[in-house]
Amino acid sequence: MEGSSRRTVAYPWFLIPLGVVSFAALAYPLYVIRPFRHQGPRELAAALEVIQVRPSIELACVIFALIGLVWYWQVQPLVSRRRLAAAGAFLVCTFAILTRVNIFELMFHPDTHPEFIPIQQAKVDPEDMVMTVKLGGMSHAYPIRSMGYHHVINDVVGREPIVATY
Amino acid sequence: MWTRESGGLVLTFHLAGINNQNFLMRDDQTGSYWQQITGEAVSGPLRGRRLTLVASDELSFGLWSAEEPGGTVLKTLPQYASDYEKKDWEAKMKKKRTVLSFADPARGLEPRTLLLGIQAFGASRAFPYDAVIQEKLVLDRVGEEPVLLVVGPDGESVRVFRDQIPGASGHPAFYRTLDDKQSHPRDAAWLKQASRAPMLMDAATGSEWNFQGCAVSGKATGLCLEPIEAIKDYWFDWRNYNPKTTVYIRRP
Repeated sequence: MEGSSRRTVAYPWFLIPLGVVSFAALAYPLYVIRPFRHQGPRELAAALEVIQVRPSIELACVIFALIGLVWYWQVQPLVSRRRLAAAGAFLVCTFAILTRVNIFELMFHPDTHPEFIPIQQAKVDPEDMVMTVKLGGMSHAYPIRSMGYHHVINDVVGREPIVATY
Repeated sequence: MWTRESGGLVLTFHLAGINNQNFLMRDDQTGSYWQQITGEAVSGPLRGRRLTLVASDELSFGLWSAEEPGGTVLKTLPQYASDYEKKDWEAKMKKKRTVLSFADPARGLEPRTLLLGIQAFGASRAFPYDAVIQEKLVLDRVGEEPVLLVVGPDGESVRVFRDQIPGASGHPAFYRTLDDKQSHPRDAAWLKQASRAPMLMDAATGSEWNFQGCAVSGKATGLCLEPIEAIKDYWFDWRNYNPKTTVYIRRP
């Protein structure tokens, strides 16, 4: 009984490092890679490395949190402690989900299915600048005033897959 | 503008981050992160690979429409129209702060000085955009190679070519023959006839050349100059990725 009691007490505390790791994997890249902030080369490299490995980290945190919660729910009679544990596990899962959110594409919505129209239909003024490319006899223009918002257009011009960036 | 093929894959890119105000892209296929200005993968399974630059121009819509009447234009999305840049965006952008500076008042370079950057022939050289527009024709060198920067008949677009007539030796000695008083991107009729009309002449062969860099009369008829890629960029960003860049100083 004493051993069981010790394990019952341990789970909520176990959630703390899981939450810290899960939060750090979310927050550190967000902190480093944000607009109007200078990025040093080493911190940027570290943030990008965290991004590469965090799917595995977050998955492990979620699995441990949920397995622990299921066990804890069964052995902990107090409702208040069950709820606290559930809230902690929920936070760990929330951090994991948030790592899948691309905040840059929330700020600058992508044009995921770019369409191209004849010149006569385009609402572009003659003095507006456009990026242009000609491949395989096909010519595309990308107005800079809209490219300055979308930033990235995945396109195929004359059967060549290209990406226009601004 | 880059190809999307690398490592045998066709990649799909997303805006995914920022690195000192130059953005990072992530590809769906491998999760690698790519620096926009260099086309280099800086993180992930394809780290170290580089995308291939695609030849492109930045032209006024009026001029491009005259050159490519059969071309098609990226359709703008009405639901984001209010977020698109306004007419005066370039003037407003000049006032925005930068996280890097590299200000060089002695050479008239502020962080947001607009320039045309050329990386070619093992060298980097920056040409202040305003200086090029005012001079209309700039004969210079990038590294050891002679280049010419030509302002189009719209008075705004710029193309860069190698200052060398294919198959010929010696200096062509280009000079401008276009009547620039009429240059304006809104003059559709003028642009239609001027877009492919001669605007340069070279003293070496007496040939006339258009804004596409092709000879339309004279001994060199049918020949085209080698185009050189140039990007429009701000000084702080260009200098950050081209620390050894030289800078063109406008002749007095």
